[in-house]
Amino acid sequence: MRNPLTVLKRRLSEHREVRTDGGTTSAGSILDRDSVRSAPFWLPPFLLIGLFIYGAIAWNIVLSLTDFQGLGTPDYSALDFENYVVAFFGGTPSWSELTVSPIWNSAWNTVVLMVSFSVVCLALGLVLAILVDQEIRFENTFRTIYLLPMSLSFVVTAKFWLYMYNVETGLVNLFLGAVGVGPIEIVQNPDLKLAAVAFALIWQFSGYAMIVYLAGLRAIPTSHFEAARVDGASTVRMYWRVIIPQLRTATVSALVVLTVFSLKAFDFLFSMYGGYQPGPSADILATRMVREAYSNGNWAYGSAIAVILFIMALAIVTPYIYSQYKRGEL
Amino acid sequence: MAELTLDGVTKVFTEDDGNEIVAVDDVSVDIEDGEFLVLVGPSGCGKSTTLRMVAGLETVTDGEISLAGRRINESPPAERDIAMVFQSYALYPHMTVAQNMSFGLEESTELDDDEISELVDDTAAMMGIEELVDRKPADLSGGQQQRVALGRAIVRDPEAFLMDEPLSNLDAKLRATMRTELQRLQEDLGVTTIYVTHDQTEAMTMGDRIAILDDGVLQQVGTPLECYHTPNNRFVAGFIGDPSMNFFEMEVDGERLVSDRFTYPLTADQADAVGEARGVTLGIRPEDIGIDPDGNADSPHEFDMHVDVVEPRGDENTIHLTFEAGLDEPETFTATVSGLRQLQAGDSVVATFPPEAIHLFDADTEQALHNRSLDIPEATEQIV
Repeated sequence: MRNPLTVLKRRLSEHREVRTDGGTTSAGSILDRDSVRSAPFWLPPFLLIGLFIYGAIAWNIVLSLTDFQGLGTPDYSALDFENYVVAFFGGTPSWSELTVSPIWNSAWNTVVLMVSFSVVCLALGLVLAILVDQEIRFENTFRTIYLLPMSLSFVVTAKFWLYMYNVETGLVNLFLGAVGVGPIEIVQNPDLKLAAVAFALIWQFSGYAMIVYLAGLRAIPTSHFEAARVDGASTVRMYWRVIIPQLRTATVSALVVLTVFSLKAFDFLFSMYGGYQPGPSADILATRMVREAYSNGNWAYGSAIAVILFIMALAIVTPYIYSQYKRGEL
Repeated sequence: MAELTLDGVTKVFTEDDGNEIVAVDDVSVDIEDGEFLVLVGPSGCGKSTTLRMVAGLETVTDGEISLAGRRINESPPAERDIAMVFQSYALYPHMTVAQNMSFGLEESTELDDDEISELVDDTAAMMGIEELVDRKPADLSGGQQQRVALGRAIVRDPEAFLMDEPLSNLDAKLRATMRTELQRLQEDLGVTTIYVTHDQTEAMTMGDRIAILDDGVLQQVGTPLECYHTPNNRFVAGFIGDPSMNFFEMEVDGERLVSDRFTYPLTADQADAVGEARGVTLGIRPEDIGIDPDGNADSPHEFDMHVDVVEPRGDENTIHLTFEAGLDEPETFTATVSGLRQLQAGDSVVATFPPEAIHLFDADTEQALHNRSLDIPEATEQIV
């Protein structure tokens, strides 16, 4: 027999909706909701970020569809993709009398810098991490020394390497002279420019890759190293087959950070070359973007390049975030 | 398969500040071909270090380790033809079970892929894990990981197995099952095995022989029953057996042992064994103590006791006894009686310490002066 009290209780609660978490919510109490009651805490930063980051991105996208150029105000009445067509194929856009070159050169430089910089950084970081992980003396000192460059700003790195690369007094040329290679102009040499930039950036960031890898190595139980040794693997084979495959997560997270850093290497180039003009052999999308916008006044075209750069960054970060999400780490 | 010999093996660790720590001190054991030796001792006694020296994961400070008559002190692990099972299993998480099992063969033999996969399949079938070969370790239960870890060692068909507490991560029930299975497996394969554990039950039940280590020093090597019935010293007596042997510190007074609590007369043999020693530790195993709830303490080997706590275990009860009732934290010792006997805390009983069951240890050196006598001829034959 059914307990009449239970029946009564059920009737009373029938107008309540069952929430997904199993609780119930009654109509008409919007003000009591957790999301509303906590609003004073999350709403201000939410609005600020929404306006100044996502709002600015959205505005920039709209701007890239206009013909905004020179002084004056953008005209939002006629939106088209002309700037993107120009960016990819070049030509004379409607807002200019001059021919505008496409972005392929700087896009290519961007990709070369990104790939060479991140790959070498990771490889160097891995080697350093493995060496530092050998229970050596002064391990903390080495770790700090390798990590220190990362604490410098791009501006300091650029000025420092300008001096290092100097034809007459630079340490690099002194060293080259010592081994019999005559002084070489590096910073302004079109053949070496991009390599010089990449090298300086690698110097700055391989310590970061080392720290990420070191953390990864420390997370691998000692017994895995020992099991591989007892299984008969040589040191190289042990790292190659047992240890490095377990550093996948570390590699991916370091890679994402490094590539994104390389995309925004603008301030480094700006400081190294004292402006927006690193020359075609070291021109990356970021310098091109700023040059178009602030030197040439091609605001809309600069915005279009910014959007392309933004999409490139998204293309790198999204798969990472998605894979993290899939594995439930987000 | 081969015999493994440890001769005066010593390991000294030097700390950063220059302090030297002797982890293993002059350990010598001969392990016969196909023998199952259990290395047992409390944590930090050096048993794992000894095993790791045999595996080649630690250098040997002094002494010699040889396998099949060949000195292996300086050989890297790869050249020793030894397989090891780790406490944490150490399965490679990014490889499937089959890849885990074939790794050692790929690295240490010249076999081609077909031969390796055949061996892996055979071993997987033998271990009952053929269904799991394509899974990753993270998708396996603890017991299954344990099997894979064993399979990985077995597939290599090594000269010797080294096992470092391989069952300690399993729950009690599974541990008991795996204990039997491991024993059967080792018997079938006939591979010389060193098995490290801190669990004296595993040592008693699994080993052909037990080697008991304490503080880096080998205390005794012998069959489980030898170690149980004729311990070399007080440490072995207390370590082997659960619940542990009871110890009473006594003074020698002629042919009697005297303490604040009781006096115990010795037989002539026992008195001879004690000889000149002044202080003696009297040891008696809980199951050798006779308990009579109704009797009177008539004989000099019988004592009036009070039951402090009763721990029922089903098959038997462990009872904690004390000489004086009513103390807050009384000194107790244990006796085991049949699980069917009804005893309550607070009961007064008479406990018998049968003279043939007592052990006597020198109070200073802790060496055994006299061990219990084993009257039953078969038992004596078996253990000697």
